[in-house]
Amino acid sequence: MPDIRHTHILKVHHLSLSFPTRKNPDPAPVLNDVDFSVRDGEILGLIGNSGSGKTMTAMAIAGLLPEGAVITGGSIKFAGRDLVSMSAKNRRKLAGKDIGVIFQEPMTALDPLMKIGKNLEEVLIAHGEKDKAKRHDKICSMLKTVGFPDPESVITRYPHQLSGGQRQRILIASAALMSPRLLICDEPTSSLDTVTTVQILGLLKDLCRSMHMTILFISHDLSAVKNFCDRVMVMKEGRIIDKDNTMDLLSHPKNGYTAELLTNARLDPRILGLERAMVDYTKSPILMTHELNAGYDNARSILKDVDLKIYPHEILGLIGSSGCGKTTLTKAILGIIPHTGDIKYKDSHIGAVFQDPVSCLNPAHTIRWHLTEPLKAAGIKLTKEETEKRILSALFEVGLDEKYLNRRPRQLSGGQRQRVAIAMCLMLDPKLIVADEPFSSLDASSAAEILKLLTDINREKGTSFLLITHNIHIVRQIAPRVVVMDSGRIVEEGLTGDILTSPKSEAAIKLLTAEKELHGSN
Amino acid sequence: MKTKKSSLSAAFFITGLILLGIVVLAFLISIVHTPYDPNLTDVTAKLQAPSSAHLFGTDNFGRDVFSRVLSASKYTIFISFAGVFIAAFLGILTGLPAGYFGGFKDRAIMLFNNSIMCFPGILLALVAVAVFGASMFNVVWALGLVFAPTFARVIRTGTLEIKERDYITQAKVMGASPVRIMTSHILPNLMPQLLPATVIGLANMTLFESGMSYLGLGVQPPDASFGKMLADAQAYMTGAPWLIIFPALMLILYILGLYFISEGLRITLSGGDN
Repeated sequence: MPDIRHTHILKVHHLSLSFPTRKNPDPAPVLNDVDFSVRDGEILGLIGNSGSGKTMTAMAIAGLLPEGAVITGGSIKFAGRDLVSMSAKNRRKLAGKDIGVIFQEPMTALDPLMKIGKNLEEVLIAHGEKDKAKRHDKICSMLKTVGFPDPESVITRYPHQLSGGQRQRILIASAALMSPRLLICDEPTSSLDTVTTVQILGLLKDLCRSMHMTILFISHDLSAVKNFCDRVMVMKEGRIIDKDNTMDLLSHPKNGYTAELLTNARLDPRILGLERAMVDYTKSPILMTHELNAGYDNARSILKDVDLKIYPHEILGLIGSSGCGKTTLTKAILGIIPHTGDIKYKDSHIGAVFQDPVSCLNPAHTIRWHLTEPLKAAGIKLTKEETEKRILSALFEVGLDEKYLNRRPRQLSGGQRQRVAIAMCLMLDPKLIVADEPFSSLDASSAAEILKLLTDINREKGTSFLLITHNIHIVRQIAPRVVVMDSGRIVEEGLTGDILTSPKSEAAIKLLTAEKELHGSN
Repeated sequence: MKTKKSSLSAAFFITGLILLGIVVLAFLISIVHTPYDPNLTDVTAKLQAPSSAHLFGTDNFGRDVFSRVLSASKYTIFISFAGVFIAAFLGILTGLPAGYFGGFKDRAIMLFNNSIMCFPGILLALVAVAVFGASMFNVVWALGLVFAPTFARVIRTGTLEIKERDYITQAKVMGASPVRIMTSHILPNLMPQLLPATVIGLANMTLFESGMSYLGLGVQPPDASFGKMLADAQAYMTGAPWLIIFPALMLILYILGLYFISEGLRITLSGGDN
């Protein structure tokens, strides 16, 4: 029988939060009158673009607000107790035991100097489990639950010896050890590939049912939310603007903003106006590799005899799960790591766009410097006026204007930084741009904009792209040809339509099954 | 709290600047004018207590202590700044390539640096000055060399971290040369580590210089330096305490000022985004 009082395990009541400073004691609120409740045992999704206040909401509930954040109004009631007015000591008792948190980045959330077993033991010690043998048993059985068949060998390993998906499992294990009643998952799958994402979501769902956990699931990945959550809330500018059952909200959005989010996430080429260049496959390839082998140390090669062709004007999709050698291949093509075998390239420059918009620009320099640097590095000498002209045209092409020139990277959003990175490529007007997961750190709206930008450049300038991604959906929309990699080899290549409808290699089948599970019939 | 932090760092900063400002003011005045020639002896006015004619009194040779303090601040500031400049330059010259290239180059450079650091710094500087002769320029060189490994370590550690960032990969893709990557891509990002190290370096170098001058291996007589003045004043400590008080006070102001500034820098930089 459900207890009526506990039907709602968490009630967030008109919560407001801001970052007041001495200069500005009353700034615009980061959270503005956030009001929702979480039902016992449900999986509640919280979606919205970057900066909409999703993470702040989660941190306020978990009691992990950053320095300077002040709750200016409202309350958070967890099982009837107000968390806002609670003392820090009582709050710590709740943390981990009743409220667990899983973060986005599984590498930084684990102490790199502690073995997995020790990392997990810390949680139990913090909550007063004194018996060492008991701790060991608990950890081993939990590791089995999260999908490690041989827990004894896992606990002696260090975090860096595990893959991203395995580390995320460890984090889930560590959160689930105390069997918390509420588990807050902040973008737990954003840095994982499709196959792993599906596994992790399945695991969370199982745990939710078997341990009677309630999950607050924060994500900008709508497809992950779709098959995982019971209810969904949409956040925009610190407010919750829409909430409904997942199916109703995602299939018949009533709110205009929700509909816009959905459109962006669907990446429909017609709605977004994506139009790529026509490719003439009778022309000779612009880049050709032959029996390419490369790795980080001489002894072990990660790439194994890779033969790759990229044609002029082509957007070539490169897919594969994490650790298949995609990034190593790009690094070899870009000439950053030593390789054996042939790479024939018809132009002198290759542009590169990387995944992380935070570290792709140099924080010490202005945008103007960033755009001048490619010319200097390539030894191209232009007059001041010519340089200025080129900078402005590259900047306009990526949809920015001259007012950004004197700004520094930290004053730009993730999408804007990614635009600057693309503008840097355009300065040298390369025939080929290698884009390594350029969308995966961006929210759906920014990703859609960057995707449109890439296809525009492809169509208008005829630039070829090697697009590396684990998002098969994007490949389907814009890449005419696709290459599938697994364990350092190219296991399948051909027209995107053919491969995505009737995959032959095991790796492609696995990717597509996972994608289907995640995106449904979409 | 962010606001508390920034006001705290501002307080440290302003206090440091005021303390340091007094010494810098003395240095600036000494360039333009000193009431007496700092090295002019006057046997008729030996060991006079502070008065309107001699603000800080006179020493055992009848030299005006106020003029000597002003002139000594000149040497202290010059030696510490020149020494830190050399140390930072050598540190960057060795630390950047060590961190950036890694491998054999790194091990060779750091082995050399670490072996310098094995010796007590002051001893090494004393030996260098003893071998090459006691003069102000030798002191600057010796101190610069002794302090270089500290800078090299700071620079190397920072470089190791920054070289893994995507913007460095991007620079490599653009075809930037290693020298260019090190100087214009990595070095500007090392300022948060380099600035406090420089300020602390200034303070430590001043202490070393005073120590060496005290032992007679720094600034050579008859020129005045705080350390030498303290050494000379020792014999007259009870009868003429002003001989000790004023140079010591200046040293304290200078070093304390530097420490306050570096503390302010540390708080500001650790709170900033990176």
